[in-house]
Amino acid sequence: MSLRVLNPNAEVLNKSAALHMNINAAKGLQDVLKSNLGPKGTIKMLVGGAGDIKLTKDGNTLLKEMQIQNPTAIMIARTAVAQDDISGDGTTTTVIFIGELMKQSERYIDEGMHPRVLVDGFEIAKRATLQFLEKFKTPVVMGDEPDKEILKMVARTTVRTKLYEALADQLTNILVDAVLCIRKPEEAIDLFMVEIMHMRHKFDVDTRLVEGLVLDHGSRHPDMKRRAENCYILTCNVSLEYEKSEINSGFFYSNAEQREAMVVAERRQVDEKVKKIIELKRKVCSDNDSNFVIINQKGIDPPSLDMLAREGIIALRRAKRRNMERLVLACGGEAVNSVDDLTPESLGWAGLVYEHVLGEEKYTFVENVKNPLSCTILIKGPNDHTIAQIKDAVRDGLRAVKNTIEDESVVLGAGAFEVAARQHLMNEVKKTVEGRAQLGVEAFADALLVVPKTLAENSGLDTQDVIIALKGEHDRGNIVGLNLNTGEPIDPQMEGIFDNYSVKRQIINSGPVIASQLLLVDEVIRAGRNMRKPT
Amino acid sequence: MKEIVTIQVGDYANYVGSHFWNFQDELIGLAGDPQADSVFKNQDINMDVLYRTGEIQQGIDTYTPRLVSINMRGSLGSMSSHGTLYKEAATTTSDVLTWTGGVSTQASEPHKKNLFLQSLYEEENFNMVNTIGGSNSGSPSEYQNKDITEGLEKGVQYWTDYSKVHFHPKSLYELNGGWTDVEDFDNYGIGRDSFDWASQGEEVSERLRFFVEECDHIQGFQFVVDDSGGFSAVAAEFLENIVDEYSNIPVMLYAVRGPGTRASRQSRKRTILEELHDAISFSRLSPYCKLIVPVGLPSLGKASKFLHIEDEKHYHSSAVYAAALHSISLPFRLVPVGPTKDACSASGAVDFHGLIQILSGQGRQNMVSVLDVAMPTPALTGGQNELSLLGNLQSLTPHIAEDVEDIQAIEHLTVHGAFASVEGRRASVCEVKDTVDAAFQRANTRPLFYHLSVGLCPLPIPLPFPSIFGNQVGKHGEMMSSKLTNSSSKGSLDVHSIPMAARLRSTSAVLPLLESKLQNLHRYGITRGAAGAELLRSWGFDKEELNEMQETLSKMVATLCPPQLSSDSD
Ligand SMILES: Nc1ncnc2c1ncn2[C@@H]1O[C@H](COP(=O)(O)OP(=O)(O)OP(=O)(O)O)[C@@H](O)[C@H]1O
Ligand SMILES: [Mg+2]
Repeated sequence: MSLRVLNPNAEVLNKSAALHMNINAAKGLQDVLKSNLGPKGTIKMLVGGAGDIKLTKDGNTLLKEMQIQNPTAIMIARTAVAQDDISGDGTTTTVIFIGELMKQSERYIDEGMHPRVLVDGFEIAKRATLQFLEKFKTPVVMGDEPDKEILKMVARTTVRTKLYEALADQLTNILVDAVLCIRKPEEAIDLFMVEIMHMRHKFDVDTRLVEGLVLDHGSRHPDMKRRAENCYILTCNVSLEYEKSEINSGFFYSNAEQREAMVVAERRQVDEKVKKIIELKRKVCSDNDSNFVIINQKGIDPPSLDMLAREGIIALRRAKRRNMERLVLACGGEAVNSVDDLTPESLGWAGLVYEHVLGEEKYTFVENVKNPLSCTILIKGPNDHTIAQIKDAVRDGLRAVKNTIEDESVVLGAGAFEVAARQHLMNEVKKTVEGRAQLGVEAFADALLVVPKTLAENSGLDTQDVIIALKGEHDRGNIVGLNLNTGEPIDPQMEGIFDNYSVKRQIINSGPVIASQLLLVDEVIRAGRNMRKPT
Repeated sequence: MKEIVTIQVGDYANYVGSHFWNFQDELIGLAGDPQADSVFKNQDINMDVLYRTGEIQQGIDTYTPRLVSINMRGSLGSMSSHGTLYKEAATTTSDVLTWTGGVSTQASEPHKKNLFLQSLYEEENFNMVNTIGGSNSGSPSEYQNKDITEGLEKGVQYWTDYSKVHFHPKSLYELNGGWTDVEDFDNYGIGRDSFDWASQGEEVSERLRFFVEECDHIQGFQFVVDDSGGFSAVAAEFLENIVDEYSNIPVMLYAVRGPGTRASRQSRKRTILEELHDAISFSRLSPYCKLIVPVGLPSLGKASKFLHIEDEKHYHSSAVYAAALHSISLPFRLVPVGPTKDACSASGAVDFHGLIQILSGQGRQNMVSVLDVAMPTPALTGGQNELSLLGNLQSLTPHIAEDVEDIQAIEHLTVHGAFASVEGRRASVCEVKDTVDAAFQRANTRPLFYHLSVGLCPLPIPLPFPSIFGNQVGKHGEMMSSKLTNSSSKGSLDVHSIPMAARLRSTSAVLPLLESKLQNLHRYGITRGAAGAELLRSWGFDKEELNEMQETLSKMVATLCPPQLSSDSD
């Protein structure tokens, strides 16, 4: 991995030039991302070469949209994207933290210090900070009935860094309800069971939680009902499409009549399958009050659709694979793979199924279900940009709620953790370290402050003043974060500003690893040279 | 009607695709143009096979390819990935509805539209205003057209530079976050590394599902991949997903690459990397399809004596491959005509499944096919010192044996728009059939079986087609005996259509290609102390997978090798 960062010309660069190249690349990426951070950050508008526009407030999305060429920057970007994959948040913080570690190191290196010493200090500081995090985190008890208020506060903190407040607050409820809906006791939360669907329609505030499923397609027969109540739902993965069998279509062997006969026989097989479904429908819908809906992962061809339509059955084809699972969790029953397995028990149930058409896009709502364990967040917005913003926020928010439940703890935000950890390192840890590795601990401690500093900078506050105020208040024995409106210290607990524990831990873990690799670049080069010498 | 969904993965695949869709677009235009030659009307080609009808939210109907095209971020030039039809009003900072904080803008260097795209855009606006559209022929537009084609000759940088097609907003997908230089994106390993299918695959497969769901009875996937580099790995992941999801829908795979992607003189290390890439790529892709057609000569200089192709221009070479793909795909779209109807304009309609059965489902069951083309096809009779139609077919598949006598070969030939004689009379379907049958009868080695599809409609040459025709090619693709002294190549302004023939062959001629892949995989990757073993490990392949791939390749070789020969040669 570390060899990758080498510039092809690295061999000819002396070690300090290579090191400074890395430092500059890290600072460069930090510069691009830092204005994104926090609820006062800026949203980025990226204008592509063809004039098309992407908007994003999310560090992860921004990185992926960028065409990064510098190998060092790519390495940092990969780490940050991995941060998002693993914990769901904290991309921006990761990038600016790595940048700051490099920046702080630069000072010492310019004074002639060997990077190895700094790296040793980083390692000590990292371990101490992780231990400190264990003490600092706020435990949250997650019994059978999780504390909804704390979940909402965590979700709100994240989502408010992506959307304006009123919309964020509305979304907060949706997010918490969605996760609680799919949560099964004693099982890991599978966020895939929350479908995220969007419609370019109406306003952002029309975004809502559907307890049930929204599919992005509709029935393919003009005579099928567009709305039905009391529906039996057949979730299946059965081809209702005429397919030629492989063996019998050889051109040598069969004459036209034989082939024709084959076609008839094969068509009949499909019809038989459809008839079995119709049989089941007649059995369960004898009362005439109920309806029958097929949602099939495989295809359904027009003759089969005709047969089903004549029977009053609504049929959807080529459903997403994942919707097979979701449907069963939402409506009950089970996914059927063969018509031989059809039983009334295999059917699910929904109070209402209806179709909504927007231009060439069709949506099918499967709603009013009993005890759903799968649900849909239906995002609405007048344009693609709005939808994309909300989608980013929904992803982050869902992860935040899930993390909180699984971490059984949260961490005070608004820079509170970083200030406290910094003071801990400087006041308690540094003195236990021997020799110059102390300076590595110091560099690490100061790098942590990049979070409150950047939050302040993005709010138009004076970073110096803010840091002095925060340190002072901290040393008076209070846990304090930054009020971005006034620049005064606040108690994040009172304000309900909470970050995820697992996100913080991941940042503290991965940031120093990459920074160390980048600082030790010279040793990698030397190793390369040694390899070549014996020949 | 049986739909085809097309998938294009990678830069060169999209170069080919761009020409391919230009042909289709041209055919659609000509069919509706009262002034066009009558061969383009009533062509018995059902365009709905490749195209879908849709609707913009404002209620305007659209007609766009059933296509998913995968591109590297930044390789769409001046075309928006949303296509041109369903566009939203331009966005400004005041449209940021979700954020009350600041907005910072980062603009990349804008790609200027070239003259061709500008004129396309203007014409569109003009048509909107003035739908009656009088004939605006005359010297000024002639002059402009000349500028346009010359401009394209000089400066095609992206496949979008010469595309005249409207794409559906779900069609063009840009891969994100690869953060690799295009030059470095040259092997299977890096493709596998850079693109995390887990994060982007869902979006891609959802787009494909959109096109498949609306098909009443899909006949297959036409999958074109640029297999010269990292896109092989992307395609393999995509194919795996497709086979998993749509197990009964056949995939026909064209593995294409531009000329000169493999330089002749280079370091040993480089050679090993390329050979291993080729072997791995082929053995990873083939298990997912029913038919694989390797396409892409090291040089197209001799692909046809009627063409002048500059190898360094992808814009040129891809046009030839696209023309061949068009011809091969024609029978999938011919409206089947009963055998009794004599005055038909087409015959030999066959669907994906049928074609695959013909080529690989019977006899030896060899799934690798060779692609040949005669572009343009000479008249059936009467040319001076011209070869017969069959003799004019040139292979576009690299690394194959010439002149093998394979009595077990199976062939599928499409001829369309052929002339009966040098005077330029179009041949009827029956004439073509009789001539081809006779030619096969006369041939020294006859294939075991052949299937012929014939259409009347020639290949139309759209304006943005490159100037690659020799000066003996006439306006309708006829061979002119009187050679002009001016030696410069002709393009779309002089040649408006050409007769075409293309062929897929299941033949042992493909053995050298398969054997070299097998040998290279063994020599550089598997045998003890292999020079590329470390490289393959860094691409993430373990011993077991490599052995499996070796197995796959040996089976393909064994299929084509008579058993007694293969034991001798060892
Ligand atoms: N109301 C608030 N006041 C002060 N700080 C806040 C507030 N809300 C959130 N923060 C802080 O903002 C930071 C998170 O900002 P943001 O979500 O933009 O970045 P990120 O999580 O690092 O990256 P990304 O979300 O782009 O992946 C955290 O440090 C958090 O404590
Ligand atoms: Mg965040």
